[in-house]
Amino acid sequence: MALRRRTAGAFALWTLCVALIPLGASADISRFDLGARIYTKHLYANNDSQGTLWLGNPFWPDQIAGSNGVSSQLEITLTGRVSDAVSAGARIASRYGERWQDYWESGNRMYGEEVNTSGDSVGMNRAAYLKLRGPWIQLDPGLRAIDWVRIGASDLGMFNPWTIGKLRYIDRDNGKGYFVAGSIGEDRDVQWVAAAIALPKLWVGPWWSTGLGDPELTNPFWSRDWAYAASLRWAIREGTQLRLVASITQDLEVDSADPDAVGSTNPGCQDALGHPIPGCSSDHAVDLYMRYVATNATAELQQDLGDTVRAEAMVAVSDQRIDSSLTANGVALNQGVSPIVYKDTRDIAVRVRVTASDPFENGLTLKGEYFNIGAEYNAIFGARREADVLLTDGFLGGGQLPTLNLANEFIDFGETWVESCIGWHGGTGLLTWDNEGGDLRLEAEYTFLTFNTNRQNRNVDTVFPDFLHSDGYTDTMLYDYANVGDRGRDPRSVYRRNQWRRSQIAVFRGRKQLELGRGLNIDWKFKYIHDEDYRSTTTTGDDYLGRILQSRLQIGVPVAPGVNLAIGGTVDRWFEQNRRGTLELGYGDDTTERETGFVTASYQYGGLRAAWMLEYVHKLQRREREGDQRWSVWRSKATFEVAW
Amino acid sequence: MIASPSSFGRTSRAVALLGLLLVPLLAFAASGFKVEFKDPKGDDFGPGTYKYPTDPVYARGSFDLRSVEIRENDDTVEFRVTVGAQIADPWNSKDWDGNGFSLQFAQIYIDTDHQKGSGFTEPLPGLGGAAFKAEEAWDKVVLISPQGRTRLEAEVRFKAPKMKGAVVLPKKTTARGKTLVAVVKKSDLGTPKAGWGFQVVMQSNEGYPDKKDILTRRVNEVAGQHRFGGGNDAECDPHVIDILAGTGKGGADEVAAQKATLAYTCGSKVATLPMVYAGR
Repeated sequence: MALRRRTAGAFALWTLCVALIPLGASADISRFDLGARIYTKHLYANNDSQGTLWLGNPFWPDQIAGSNGVSSQLEITLTGRVSDAVSAGARIASRYGERWQDYWESGNRMYGEEVNTSGDSVGMNRAAYLKLRGPWIQLDPGLRAIDWVRIGASDLGMFNPWTIGKLRYIDRDNGKGYFVAGSIGEDRDVQWVAAAIALPKLWVGPWWSTGLGDPELTNPFWSRDWAYAASLRWAIREGTQLRLVASITQDLEVDSADPDAVGSTNPGCQDALGHPIPGCSSDHAVDLYMRYVATNATAELQQDLGDTVRAEAMVAVSDQRIDSSLTANGVALNQGVSPIVYKDTRDIAVRVRVTASDPFENGLTLKGEYFNIGAEYNAIFGARREADVLLTDGFLGGGQLPTLNLANEFIDFGETWVESCIGWHGGTGLLTWDNEGGDLRLEAEYTFLTFNTNRQNRNVDTVFPDFLHSDGYTDTMLYDYANVGDRGRDPRSVYRRNQWRRSQIAVFRGRKQLELGRGLNIDWKFKYIHDEDYRSTTTTGDDYLGRILQSRLQIGVPVAPGVNLAIGGTVDRWFEQNRRGTLELGYGDDTTERETGFVTASYQYGGLRAAWMLEYVHKLQRREREGDQRWSVWRSKATFEVAW
Repeated sequence: MIASPSSFGRTSRAVALLGLLLVPLLAFAASGFKVEFKDPKGDDFGPGTYKYPTDPVYARGSFDLRSVEIRENDDTVEFRVTVGAQIADPWNSKDWDGNGFSLQFAQIYIDTDHQKGSGFTEPLPGLGGAAFKAEEAWDKVVLISPQGRTRLEAEVRFKAPKMKGAVVLPKKTTARGKTLVAVVKKSDLGTPKAGWGFQVVMQSNEGYPDKKDILTRRVNEVAGQHRFGGGNDAECDPHVIDILAGTGKGGADEVAAQKATLAYTCGSKVATLPMVYAGR
């Protein structure tokens, strides 16, 4: 009887629960978003490298790069509202790099390091495991002065490329920290953000790390390394805005003389003779010293002059302090490949830009810019790519960034490159004209450049990083980090032992739409770079003159709704006197001929986005002092992407 | 130098000749349709409660509609939509075949006949709970988006197949200062004239929209990094940030008019998108 009563009670409880579940579930669903994305990339080329990433990392021998294979990635995004005041989210993404042919791989390296037939031999880079990325909690504390508090992941996009830059897309929300944002005034005229950001253990600091791998450190300590930053945006009045941004990046290391430190040089506080060391005593606390600290700040004023003209002026300052007893000299020990100048530095940068957007109502837009970036300005935590601080097309046609910490890595062919603009001093004029019918756009740019880095007998052995390869026009189409193919200057190489350089860049590009079929777009670009560098001023024997001619034509046709086809090509010629060499061995006059042809297609339907590119690159490098080189490269890339 | 009678005569004849040449040109220019609507500053809050996403790329005024100008050219019609902030391209639209800006998405709904039962009362998918009156149903909509034509065509074709014939994609879209400029073909739109009704809906471009939405950014109850706040998670709220209201002259009373027309009550009242008629 008792059992029956319990059964009846349980049944009633179960019925009540069933009745309530839909209500509860409904409430939860309205507060919960689940998103997913699948990205598949197909990469093939006429070489024997295996992988699905054209250009990997320059340092360690990675398994990631390679030009033959297909890989997929799954990404799951969870966001939800915990309450009216709190929301939270996270992203879970599979590790990219497992080729379709690798589907046995579990990430377990069996039988040592050799590749073998176990199916468990190539490691975690091929295992496509899911990893937590981007967890965050956001709070609206209900205070007048504070809009929100975020704990966890961010793309760091609230600052700027001169201080702390937005993370590159492949890292997007991997940055983590504490963020507080607020505003002042009824119309939120003043908006501010303050943050403490956990320093990534790689990249931000000497030796491309916050201690890890530095030969000067026996016990690198990176868990207490943080950056602190603040941004203030003040809308002074309609059309006038002031923006201030400041950041401090600091790397702390253990005092190895502290008797409480792991691996202390004074564990017993006694010298070699057994005598007590004055001032040395254990207190079970470890002292820390600053290995590296960098400060960057910008002040930027934007002023609208009427409806069509805007003037912007920005001043930036950069300061760096290093403790040479806690950081090894990456310039001397790493062949000049270092993201910092190996000494204390301080420098400024100035940029003034005026934009007149169609002021005469005839389709003509004018932009002018003056820039002067100090020779030792460096934004160590600045934007590494996917950003651009100058108007000019530059030498490489991508963005210019004021850092030695560029990241032209983990990219495929066809992507744009960034170059360091540290030391650039000059101006750009840019004219754009759109015709009334909207079917023609013409754009012309002229840039004159000289360099604050011009100097004789610069110490590139122990102080200024020259990135080992600082000569010749850079070929980003056929780049290799080890420079086995004579691909020219490293885009980070802003310092030379002897430099007296000035350059001019002229670009003319346009687009014409023709009324043929569903429409036909013709895009063209012509570019000329006149690059002079007297190098050593004591002789004319090393004077460099580069005359770089580039041309590109593309014809695109939308063949059906959602389907685009394009065909095009480039013809480039580089005439370089004294391209590379030494005074002792002499220099050579080299000529580069490069032609490409390509076909692209894109297809979008029902949420699927697909793109395909097939490219042929022919390059002939005629070299005076060395043998000629020839490239004949076929390569293709296809991507398929859905998100739901 | 003092003009001699003979030189004065020559000058007069030249001026007269020039005048004869210019008159037809001026007459031609004057004959083209042109209309400008204004919208008050600071009403980029939908029905009065909406807040911008918290990410700093959504600069204040970016969705604050200030004016729209429609002018007829030879074979084209140009739309100029001006907002309260410089138009920026924080997401590098060139990388995704875009048009040089990233944030804004303006939809210009046009009623060409002012006939009840002619056209659509529902807007394109993605504007939440909002509708036009039956007598102000729209016949054409011009999309001023940073997305390239291929993406727009695909989105419309898949998510609004019944409306695709009414969607006009510009032959060119660009940004100049605070103004979005779109040029559409007359053959796609027709020749604008007095009596046509217009409504400009300011939204934000969302590259990863909901499966039913055409590239619009949602309005939630609470603002997120890339979500507007101040609305309703149940999607009964209008996902529009700013519109033309009242008579489209930019008067302060149009703020109240916008609040009133976009007011909604979940389950009973849907926000109304009004048309503003040219030449009335």
